[in-house]
Amino acid sequence: MKRLTYKFASIGALALIFLISSSFVKTPSSVSFKCMIQMINYTGEKAYVVVSLIDPDGNYVKTLYVQGDDDEWFPDLKNWWKFSDGSNENIDGITGATIGNGERNIISLAFEPSEIDSGHTIRFESAVENQEYYTVDAEIALNSATIKNKVDGKGYIRYIRMVPNK
Amino acid sequence: MTLSIWRYSHLILAVSSSLFLLVASITGVILSVEPINNKLQPYSISNAEGLSLAETLANINARYDDVISVSQDQNGFVSATVIIDSKNESFYIDPITGDKLGPIIEKAPIYQFATNLHRSLFLKTPGRLFIGLASLLLFFIAVSGIVLIAKRQGGIQRFFSSVVRENYAQYQHVVYSRIVLIPIVILALSGVYLSLLRFQLIPETFITHEIDFDNLQEEPLLDYTNFELLKNTPLSELRDIEYPFSEFVEDYYLIRLKNKEVLLNQYTGAPISEKKYPMVTLASEWATVLHTGQGTILWSIVLGLGSLAVPFLMFTGFAVYFKRPKTNIKNTVPKEKARFVILVGSEGGTTLQYAQLLHSQLLALGKKSYLAMMDDYTTFKSMEHLVVITATYGQGEAPSSAIKFETLLKKHIQKQPYHFSVVGFGSTSYPHFCEFAYETNKLLQTTPKANALIAQVHTVNDRSFEAYTNWATAWGNLVGLNIRLTKPTKLAEKSHKSPFIVLEKTEAQDMIDDTFLLTLKNTNGAQANSGDLLSIVPGSGEQERLYSLGKLDDNIFTISVKRHPEGLCSNYLLQLEKGTTFSASVVANKNFHFPKKAKKTVLIATGTGIGPFLGMIRSNSRKNEIHLYWGGRTEDSLKLYKPFIDNALESGSLTTFIPAYSRTQTEKKYVQHLIKQDGEQIAKVLRKKGCVMICGSIAMQKEVLNELQSICNRYLKKDLSFYQNRKQIKMDCY
Repeated sequence: MKRLTYKFASIGALALIFLISSSFVKTPSSVSFKCMIQMINYTGEKAYVVVSLIDPDGNYVKTLYVQGDDDEWFPDLKNWWKFSDGSNENIDGITGATIGNGERNIISLAFEPSEIDSGHTIRFESAVENQEYYTVDAEIALNSATIKNKVDGKGYIRYIRMVPNK
Repeated sequence: MTLSIWRYSHLILAVSSSLFLLVASITGVILSVEPINNKLQPYSISNAEGLSLAETLANINARYDDVISVSQDQNGFVSATVIIDSKNESFYIDPITGDKLGPIIEKAPIYQFATNLHRSLFLKTPGRLFIGLASLLLFFIAVSGIVLIAKRQGGIQRFFSSVVRENYAQYQHVVYSRIVLIPIVILALSGVYLSLLRFQLIPETFITHEIDFDNLQEEPLLDYTNFELLKNTPLSELRDIEYPFSEFVEDYYLIRLKNKEVLLNQYTGAPISEKKYPMVTLASEWATVLHTGQGTILWSIVLGLGSLAVPFLMFTGFAVYFKRPKTNIKNTVPKEKARFVILVGSEGGTTLQYAQLLHSQLLALGKKSYLAMMDDYTTFKSMEHLVVITATYGQGEAPSSAIKFETLLKKHIQKQPYHFSVVGFGSTSYPHFCEFAYETNKLLQTTPKANALIAQVHTVNDRSFEAYTNWATAWGNLVGLNIRLTKPTKLAEKSHKSPFIVLEKTEAQDMIDDTFLLTLKNTNGAQANSGDLLSIVPGSGEQERLYSLGKLDDNIFTISVKRHPEGLCSNYLLQLEKGTTFSASVVANKNFHFPKKAKKTVLIATGTGIGPFLGMIRSNSRKNEIHLYWGGRTEDSLKLYKPFIDNALESGSLTTFIPAYSRTQTEKKYVQHLIKQDGEQIAKVLRKKGCVMICGSIAMQKEVLNELQSICNRYLKKDLSFYQNRKQIKMDCY
């Protein structure tokens, strides 16, 4: 009977330690940026833009944001779709409305501290119905020194700007 | 000529676009629900319109740290995009309290599906092209439809007057298309506009702001609540406002109002750039709202109904096309050998059916008859008799099978002399009653070798089989043939035989002008009103005769009969003894019932035509004003009806009785003369929505209608057909 009590107490203590330590692991808060996607003036339908995190080797790590709400058109963004659809990624909750010619969209992007200053980049790829698909419309190095610099796009994006969130 | 082109185009356009239109209209009906559904969401804040932008932003900023934008949609719902826990969130808010009201309405999968199908049939760009074209075709269908209705109704000014009913499909097609014309035209045109925009055939112009970044000032610093524009612009003007992206002075407030875009310096509130939206942008917005009904429930409902009408009109339209009897006439006699040639001018094919009756009767009598359309007119080497049976289209135009007739008549001159007669089919509720028949008659009169057998055109109103068969018999007598047309089963009304007992009868020796009255009692509870007809078949295999009923009491009726020396039926009735039972059937004749609502009524009859009126007067227990005009030969002629009339005058169920006798005065007086005399009073009755009822011979009807026409023109400044359409003129003539 006595031994059983000890056993329960030790399990309880262990659990407590584990809980505390695990909550410590979680807290190193993610770094959040406000990101503005400014479109060029073009004619045609509204653009689909996907924002993804790319590792130093140039591979997709995860999808950060999908500007486009009708999955009928997702396959048009070929490279990303191969990764996202192929890895069964859940992108619910990170999609938003498309924007068109000359408009801008402001989104919030969050990263793990480990992803910053470690050679990762943020890639913006874009497509418009019946028009060209840009595998890399714009790409920003996830580098704390240069991240505030305006980066020009090559396709439907005029430029991307990022500032740290308040 | 023009008619067939319009009709042909209308059909071809409809056929070629039918599949696309069907898809677009059904999805359109579904999509019309979406804006209604959205508008009904509880995100509208009733007293928020008065807020200024400055107040709105202050209310929102008080609740959220990092606001990205504030927008207002077509429904007047205000939403905000804010960053919460480093995530973008958009939701509807209360602009007064800043409270979150609910998530942004997502397009339900059904609407997403319907939208894609509606826009592009899931075929992407080619699909959009097809739908755009179908939209354009729909517009052309509507235009050709307007022309066809105008032609059918006899002029654009009669566009909305009542439609003559030929059959279900035709009637519904015309009636409904007139109602939904406006939404359909708007849907079609806005659809075309949106397609043109999509294919960049209408160039879109965009606002571009030029910003002088070097001269942006950070002073004098002003709180945003004091910015002029934000203070003075009401929330109702707002489309959306984007907050400055960062605290750099290069970042500004981007404010989109209903008519312009303004950039505001985030520190001083000074406008950096202000641009009005170009016309194309505003026009495109209007096209979108008109096409989708966004933001208005009422218009969405109108559009939904308009969309719903398209499949209905397609269905009825094709039904009209397929029901129109095809003119496949089989002639057993070659045209070179035919002694009788019947030519038909028909629009819907009804006239042709009647012509076929005569044709087959002639063939049955062993006569060589040839039936063709008027446009088949050519040289007929053996023709002795030409019968033209024709309808009239619209404003006295030729019906579709008689368009070339005039030219052909002049081109093919017959070598041998021949007789002709013309029968006109039409409805007196149109202003140009049988006009084409009259014109044809005139034309034939001036044609070489053609001699009129009957100088006048015989007209048949509202497909009256009786009028037609009367003509056929008369014509037969002139050409030495015994023509007895039988009503085809299709045209025959369903009737049930029912027994009648003779209660009273004028004895043969008491007859005046060979006229007698029969009082009958129905013993089987057959329902009939004064004005309905009694169909009597005098012997087996004989043709039915119709008598107008006057209802004297429940189950008790009177008929007034003129005995013809050779008349089978009149002699049959005359020899019936009191108390004998015979069978007959009641045929409803709703168009000749006594008006329930009219306060004043004028009844006009000659001879036995008074029969139904006797019943109507008897039933006038409310003592509404009734004026009876009656034409007879002599004062003696009245004897038969005198007790009845004196009685009615005394009891007040008849107001006045005005007789005309054609054989007593030195100057013959006919009932139409009375009408002319009392024109002003009759005009008054018509103006007060009273009713004029005419019963008697066709000849009298014609004269009386002429008088009524001039009364309408003179006192009421309207065409007689105006009152006929309102059922203020009712006729039963034979």
